[in-house]
Amino acid sequence: MNALVALCHFCELHGPRTLFCTEAVHPPSPSPPQPGSAIPGEREREADREGEGLTMRANSSATQRADMCEGCRSLPASHPGFVSVDGETGIRYLSHQHPRQPQLFSVVRQACVRSLSCEVCPGREGPIFFGDEQHGFVFSHTFFIKDNLARGFQRWYSIVVVAMDRIYLINSWPFLLRHLRLTIQSLQNTALKVFDSEQCVCPQRALRMNSTFSPAVFPHQRSGNAARSLTSLTQHPNLWDSLHSSFSWLLKACGSRLTEKLLEGAPTEDTLVLIERQTEQEEEMSGWDGAEGGGSNPQSSQSESVQAKDFQFDDRRQEDLIGPKFKSLRHLRQVLGTADFRQLTWHVLMGNQVIWRGADPGLIQSAFNVLKALLPVGCVRAVQYSPHYEEAYRCNFLGLSPDVPIPAHVSSSEFSVLVDVLSAERGCVNPVSDDDILSLYQFHISSANTQPTDKGPTLLNKLEVALSNENLSVEVVSLCLLCLKEEWMNKVKVLFKFSKVDGRGKEDTQKVLALLGATGPGEEDNVRLLKFWMTGLSKLYKSHLMTAVRGGERTLSQ
Amino acid sequence: MPTLLQKLFSKRAVGNGNGSARDCSTGAEQRWASAEFDLAQIRLIVYQDCERRGRQVLFDSKAIHKLDASEPTADETKTPPNRSGACHIGSQANEKDKPPTYQYTRPASDVNMLGEMMFGSVSMSYKGSTLKIHHIRSPPQLMVSKVFSTRFGSSSTSGSTNTLQDSFESMSQTFPSHTSSSIEQLKSTVRVRHVPSAPLLSLVRSASFFAAHSNPVDMPSRGHSEDGDSGIARSASLSSLLATPQPSPGSSFSSGCASSYQRRWLRSQATSLQHGPMPRWNAEEMFNLSDESCSSNPAMIRRKKIAISIIISLPEREEENHNFQEFFFSHFPLFESHMNKLKTAIERAMIVCRRIAESSQRVQVYLCRVMEALGEFRMTVWNLYMAPRISEPVWLSMISQSAERNLLCQRFLKEMSLLMEHGVKSQFLSALLTAVLTHHLAWVPTVMPSNLPPIKPACQKPTSQTVDLLAKSHPYNPLWAQLGDLYGALGSPVRVCRTVVVGRRRELVQRVLYILSYFIRCSDLQEHVQPQGQKDNPANPCTSPTTDPNPASERICEKTFPPPPDTIKPIPGTFMEQNDETVSADTHSTNTPTGLEASMVRPECTEMGPECFGEHVDSVGGGLEHILANQSPLPQRVQFHIGSPREVENVGQAGGLMCGGQGLDRKLHQRLLTDIRRNESSDSALGDSDDEETSSREMYMAAEQTEYELPLPSSQVESRASVNHFGRSLLGGYCPQYMPDFALHGISSDLRLKQCLMADLEHTVLHPALDEPVAEALCIVADTDRLSVQVVTSQRRMCEGGRLGRDVMVSNLIHTLITSVLQLYALNIAADFCVMHLEDRLQEVYFKSRSLAEYLRGQTRVHVKELGLALGIESSDIPLLAAVASTHSPYVAQILL
Repeated sequence: MNALVALCHFCELHGPRTLFCTEAVHPPSPSPPQPGSAIPGEREREADREGEGLTMRANSSATQRADMCEGCRSLPASHPGFVSVDGETGIRYLSHQHPRQPQLFSVVRQACVRSLSCEVCPGREGPIFFGDEQHGFVFSHTFFIKDNLARGFQRWYSIVVVAMDRIYLINSWPFLLRHLRLTIQSLQNTALKVFDSEQCVCPQRALRMNSTFSPAVFPHQRSGNAARSLTSLTQHPNLWDSLHSSFSWLLKACGSRLTEKLLEGAPTEDTLVLIERQTEQEEEMSGWDGAEGGGSNPQSSQSESVQAKDFQFDDRRQEDLIGPKFKSLRHLRQVLGTADFRQLTWHVLMGNQVIWRGADPGLIQSAFNVLKALLPVGCVRAVQYSPHYEEAYRCNFLGLSPDVPIPAHVSSSEFSVLVDVLSAERGCVNPVSDDDILSLYQFHISSANTQPTDKGPTLLNKLEVALSNENLSVEVVSLCLLCLKEEWMNKVKVLFKFSKVDGRGKEDTQKVLALLGATGPGEEDNVRLLKFWMTGLSKLYKSHLMTAVRGGERTLSQ
Repeated sequence: MPTLLQKLFSKRAVGNGNGSARDCSTGAEQRWASAEFDLAQIRLIVYQDCERRGRQVLFDSKAIHKLDASEPTADETKTPPNRSGACHIGSQANEKDKPPTYQYTRPASDVNMLGEMMFGSVSMSYKGSTLKIHHIRSPPQLMVSKVFSTRFGSSSTSGSTNTLQDSFESMSQTFPSHTSSSIEQLKSTVRVRHVPSAPLLSLVRSASFFAAHSNPVDMPSRGHSEDGDSGIARSASLSSLLATPQPSPGSSFSSGCASSYQRRWLRSQATSLQHGPMPRWNAEEMFNLSDESCSSNPAMIRRKKIAISIIISLPEREEENHNFQEFFFSHFPLFESHMNKLKTAIERAMIVCRRIAESSQRVQVYLCRVMEALGEFRMTVWNLYMAPRISEPVWLSMISQSAERNLLCQRFLKEMSLLMEHGVKSQFLSALLTAVLTHHLAWVPTVMPSNLPPIKPACQKPTSQTVDLLAKSHPYNPLWAQLGDLYGALGSPVRVCRTVVVGRRRELVQRVLYILSYFIRCSDLQEHVQPQGQKDNPANPCTSPTTDPNPASERICEKTFPPPPDTIKPIPGTFMEQNDETVSADTHSTNTPTGLEASMVRPECTEMGPECFGEHVDSVGGGLEHILANQSPLPQRVQFHIGSPREVENVGQAGGLMCGGQGLDRKLHQRLLTDIRRNESSDSALGDSDDEETSSREMYMAAEQTEYELPLPSSQVESRASVNHFGRSLLGGYCPQYMPDFALHGISSDLRLKQCLMADLEHTVLHPALDEPVAEALCIVADTDRLSVQVVTSQRRMCEGGRLGRDVMVSNLIHTLITSVLQLYALNIAADFCVMHLEDRLQEVYFKSRSLAEYLRGQTRVHVKELGLALGIESSDIPLLAAVASTHSPYVAQILL
């Protein structure tokens, strides 16, 4: 809780006085606790220290002059105070006689005066809430402490909790009352024992009745009357240490009494897949101690290692490559032309192998980066640049150098598309600008596919509407694509549940496709897309559904 | 009073009957509070503290009883107060016969003490309102008081014969007789007088919209006069306000839960104590007794304070008392909101009474109005405490991850299917969900995808780690956060919404409530308490009381070894033994042989000479004299350890140089020189002329530059579901009539709804329970008899003539969403998977709102056809998506206003 707790005392000579104050100091911004360093940084600590010292000197000097009696002082002027640090959150609980900050000093002073002099409580002992926006809000509990030398044989104290959040302070009334009463009763009981033992030694009541009033004795009596500190009244040598601990705990416990349980959305499948890949990559790295990578031409037969190196390849080549690059889907569409772009993206979404062959690996990589955005992360298996052909089951994005021949079975396959990047005919002419790709290259797209590419899938139809609208910015198109991908990934989840987990028949599957909106024009392409995108589901999601089914079966057997 | 009591008993009896009927029929709802709560237990006192006349009681409900001769009929009793405040002579003549006649008796004996509690024993110079809460032990009562500075003193143009004091023994109030102007003209006068300039007014009005997203600022008071700002001015000022939002670390730390996180972070900063008190938006609340005659007599303005106090008698039984207090303090913002409404009614009663010439009639009108307002307050508080609630809200049940999750999903989907079939022609369910999802926006953070890896792989929806981290290091009020979530106060500008389901068929209304409790979401609160039997409470500072009568021993112990509190033995006899053990332990820790110890002490004392002893005498006072007088072995040890543990270490280090002899002497000499040098610089810095005192203090300060570190005490806590929080209390069940506080509740009759809703919405904007400015208050009214859904708003100009609200346009997104989920369920897909799919579809709505927000960036016009073609957003989807977008993109409101 962002508040402070103070012990106040009504001195017979000086009136209301603040005896002891514990405040919570919070770190500037929430951050995970670093292992081994629970205390804030040294620089911040030094700055805080300087502030502390300066204010302490000023306050100590003022206090020394104004409050000379023992009852108005808790810690000696040279005492630096107490601090407790919450290692988990970085909150520091500081205790001094007065707050170090001048505004807080004034706030506590005001609360002390109102608590002991202004506000009326029936029976004079008990809780009161008071305050306003200007001076802060206060929960106050007044109480008496027995004292043989005091007028009426008792002195008046109060414990105040000051905060700026009045609603929070009022919400905490039952908690504060319950625990402050424990503190107060503990002090009162301890002082009562001291009081009773002192009465046995020297009964003050009879002494006062028998003493004769005289002007010479009166000042001495009053001075002696006001001299006793709470430490003396309770015979507790470490009273202020204990109060620091009690007040610190009160502030912490009150702030953590209620906690929220707040749900947020599940991570997207792309996020989960990326996390899973990173985990696998780290495991492989730990397993390859001392081993070297395969360089720019991966030779390993494991698909995971191919993907791992794919990431490295991306990072390394992106910085070094120069030359023109594709920037966005719209840019790619402008360069290739709407018809070729349509055909190419159709193959991408159908899960067919997309092969780019050319002399510029940077250009090919940029094309892949743009096209990858069409697919879920889990559906992408790319080999950026290779001197020889890779089979389709290894990668659906393949970059080749110009002299690599395409096998015959691939050329005649309808599940692949080849984009040849050729030099422009007017190669000797200087380029107009570095980004003018068409002045440097020609793109020849070829595929043995006989299926029409203009009917579906629905996602591509909608995307082309957005791409062709020049009023929409690149960011809008990007978000539109994100919406479409999430929409269809959710359909994939339903189809996965229906066909793979539950094992429903064709008739039911057709019903599901209808209600998912995958039927109608482009239905065949939609179905192919949905099946392809099942590879984009995270392992976590698949295992979760399978586990649920297993649990369900167990329930049925019971 | 007997008649009033009979009426109250009758009302309570009706409540009991309904409760028992509900318990028998369904069992789905149960009464919230087990205790009986009598309306008569609430007492109202209005006090005036005037410079000239002192303190006077203006009203005390305990001193008022109704005359039997004018007992009204039931219909007349239920007549609500005239909201417009207009009062004509003609209607007064009618009211003279119909309303009950009250007689003011002698004030109760405790009013003087209560006045002291309200105003305090010393007058405060603070201008504005102060809030106080007292607990009275016998009889057990809670007293909530608000003291206001009056805005204008009432001028006196009539003699004392026209004051209320002629009729009351202790009431006196000057009410000038002016019948020439109406209340409307009075409002116009007030409006003109209080408008300093149009741009400032627009800024003030607009600033409240973005208070949740900007630095807290000291704003002037807001009242009824803030009506006239134009759209252009608003747009301009919004831009300037948007330019300087306070950056929050959440925006860079995690994009998930942006609005939830940001709202909580801003709240923790706005209520932080570390930068001193910072006045906030409602610092200028005053008691308004303004009259047009004040402007003509400025010299007549007098300083006056008005106190309004509500005293609630607590149940005698301890358990019921405890339960009510827990409820009262956790729901205090709602109680205070109604207290503000009561204050407004009292203001109006005082203003209206001035225009009545005849004193007896004036008294009657005043008493009738105040008693009517008090009756409203009592009934509202009773309803808030006693009304039935939804026993198992769907969303909160899902949060608790109960083992019966699949059964819960099955029931939820079954109920939704039945409701879909029932209202299939009018698309009732789709319209209702469109409205609820548009205005109860707490569902949006629950579908924003998390960027962090999930902690529990099996958990479908993770709990927010970023909000949890924020709550630990920067505490905010979880109850406040939850209340805002329930009212949907996540958008920008801040709007609060409630939903009322009307219908004569109980089962149908309850089905709708059950379904909506899934979509009206909030966080679940957990309470961490100490186990009952735990004795070692860290709040106890005196765990081991010691009553050792020997002062010399006490001082020795205090000065030499400050042991931790838990090491003090409770038995005085063993205290000295503990002291010896401590001495031995300390000796052992220094790794110094006993022989060397004695020799080290002796040369040091000899070398220092009397100067050393003199200095020590100063520091320890008379204690050292006692020690020396005793001449016991202890003084040597005590002398050795005088000072801080660091000095002990220094002596230990010096021991290593013992063989040198001269080395020790040189080291001590250098240390003294260093101290003197530091003292000189400190003197110049502080400008303190007390050389001796400063020198002594600085020598000590040099050794200790920071506070002593003590371990933070930890205690055992057990977590349990919190009972008294808004997620459980503000989702009401099927109730006899409309109530203003609930985020969701069902009613069988909309009569009271039509009478009170508009005034309640306006009051919500003026006195929000969220303790932060609110731009608009809305209410979704779902009529299950006519299968219509309307949205009522506090902004009057949006309402068409003769209608309460506007019909909701069904969002195509929501209709498709609900239809597909229910069709999946009809195909016998597992219920929990269908609910997961529902959440996925809601996430799609969130993504579409991001597309809309991005599209609107930089745009000044909305092309609906373009949205439909490019983004798949239809015109019926725009209000929903704009509302969702306002939770993460505040500029959306600026463009769409």
